[in-house]
Amino acid sequence: MNQKLKKKLLAICQWLLAIIGALIILIPVYWIFISSIKPNTELLTSPIDWIPKHFTLQSYKTLIHTVGILPQIGSTLIVTTLTLVITTVFCVLAAYAFERYSSKGLSLAYGMIVFSAMIPGIVTARPLYDYLKSLKLVDTYPGLILLYTSALIPFTILILRNYLSGIPIDIEEAAEIDGAGHLQKIMFVTMPLLKPAVSTVCIINFISCLNEFFIPLFFSQKIKVLTIGISTLPRANSYDVPWDLLSAMGCIILIPIIIFVMIFEENIMEGIMAGGVKA
Amino acid sequence: MKEGTKKRMWIPWLMILPVIVIRCLTTLYPVVMTFINSFRDLNIINGGTGTFIGLKNYARLLQDDKIASSMQFTIIFTVVSMIFHIILGVALAMMLNMKFKGKKFLRTIVLIPWAMPTIVAGRAARWGFNGTYGFVNDLISRFVAGFHFDWLVQVDTARIAVIIVDLWKDVPFFAILVLASLQYISDDIYEAAKIDGAGALRTFWSITIPNIAKTVMLISIFFTMWRITNFELVYAMTSGGPYDGTSVLSYRILIEAFNNLNLGYASAIAIVLFLLMLLLSGLNLFAVKKISD
Repeated sequence: MNQKLKKKLLAICQWLLAIIGALIILIPVYWIFISSIKPNTELLTSPIDWIPKHFTLQSYKTLIHTVGILPQIGSTLIVTTLTLVITTVFCVLAAYAFERYSSKGLSLAYGMIVFSAMIPGIVTARPLYDYLKSLKLVDTYPGLILLYTSALIPFTILILRNYLSGIPIDIEEAAEIDGAGHLQKIMFVTMPLLKPAVSTVCIINFISCLNEFFIPLFFSQKIKVLTIGISTLPRANSYDVPWDLLSAMGCIILIPIIIFVMIFEENIMEGIMAGGVKA
Repeated sequence: MKEGTKKRMWIPWLMILPVIVIRCLTTLYPVVMTFINSFRDLNIINGGTGTFIGLKNYARLLQDDKIASSMQFTIIFTVVSMIFHIILGVALAMMLNMKFKGKKFLRTIVLIPWAMPTIVAGRAARWGFNGTYGFVNDLISRFVAGFHFDWLVQVDTARIAVIIVDLWKDVPFFAILVLASLQYISDDIYEAAKIDGAGALRTFWSITIPNIAKTVMLISIFFTMWRITNFELVYAMTSGGPYDGTSVLSYRILIEAFNNLNLGYASAIAIVLFLLMLLLSGLNLFAVKKISD
């Protein structure tokens, strides 16, 4: 009986802790959400109405008609999609080469990639800007995609190589004996085996792309992605925060991310942990 | 596979060519340029033309009060934030590792701050910590009647607010990484400890802590580096204010390079920051070696 009571008490404590943790995370998110659907007159009240009295989509309408959020969503999707495709192709090839071949030069090249990941973006930003400008790549999709891809390369190669080292080489050797060419071998034997790692890495990279702020801040003015859009919302003066639009735009960015995280919780956890253990 | 690798060594090189070219162009080349620029007069507004001026940019750096205060806040921010990251991160990781029905629910929620763009969190926090309309004061005043405080107007509390938001956003990520090493500890050890009559606290100190110490240390070094170089949160939340009180070193570089257009000087600060990073990654390598021996 005592044992049973203890167990129950433990379960209650666990739940209590979990709920407190969840509330700390969810309250700010909930506050952003209710702010986005309140009419302007009820937005600036003190104390805050935690359950909105009236409901309106006015902020969202303003975002679409006046601020022009749709093109921003479009350019975010273009940059993200192309970056993911290019990163995946390049990194699968590179991870394969790094894992399946060995030479001094190759390990040096690998070391270079790991080292380059230590260089803070802010250290390289200004020369990189001037350099890309001379190539006419500033404020263009190819330029943005190049930089986004570059930012994802070290992590992606790390994860893919790590996973590849767990796939026995025998399978590939068998394919070679059966007369498969080099490219065929990678395409039809290794690639299918790499699928779980590729999908995990793509899910995490997708979030990284959506969150990217540093690159578009420096390297594009006309092409606006969502993270830049939210930081340049029109405001009356430099001290004012356009909270109605800001909260609505926050929701437009957050809701897909939250749904995405709910669907892929296990993959994301797996990917983060795989990167962390190796690191 | 082993036979004939010599002959076909061009194949792997061809395969890594794209990533090598991209990384060289976007990181190594600009770093070298930043290094060179740090010795030049590139104060564009005052008509700097790029003549080499030796260590003048670095000399100025030592006398600049703004750099000193940026350095000070960067250190405070990093140290305080990391101490809480470790304490709260380990606690949260242990919660995530508990066996109970709400596990999946908690794990999903914990990913939200990580997946949220810093700029969104920072902009929302700017409003959330607002004295009159922010939700932080609203919640506190429900427990402490009549509570009112202008967080972002005074230097000290603005710093505290920035650190709180940083913790809110990144402790969950830290915890997930710690969770990975918690899961490596087998249940048998805990069972054995239980049979030997060890209490919960004893088990924590003698089994959990030693087993995760290595991972926690390595992650901490990475998180420290990230804290030293990141300016996004400060950019979004306080714009370095009030009175430059929250302008971290990397934010100062941004202002010098893109607002004041003093490229030589910005490069010198950037190089100092980079050396700091190299020092830390050296420490990291050293730690890895020491631990695996």
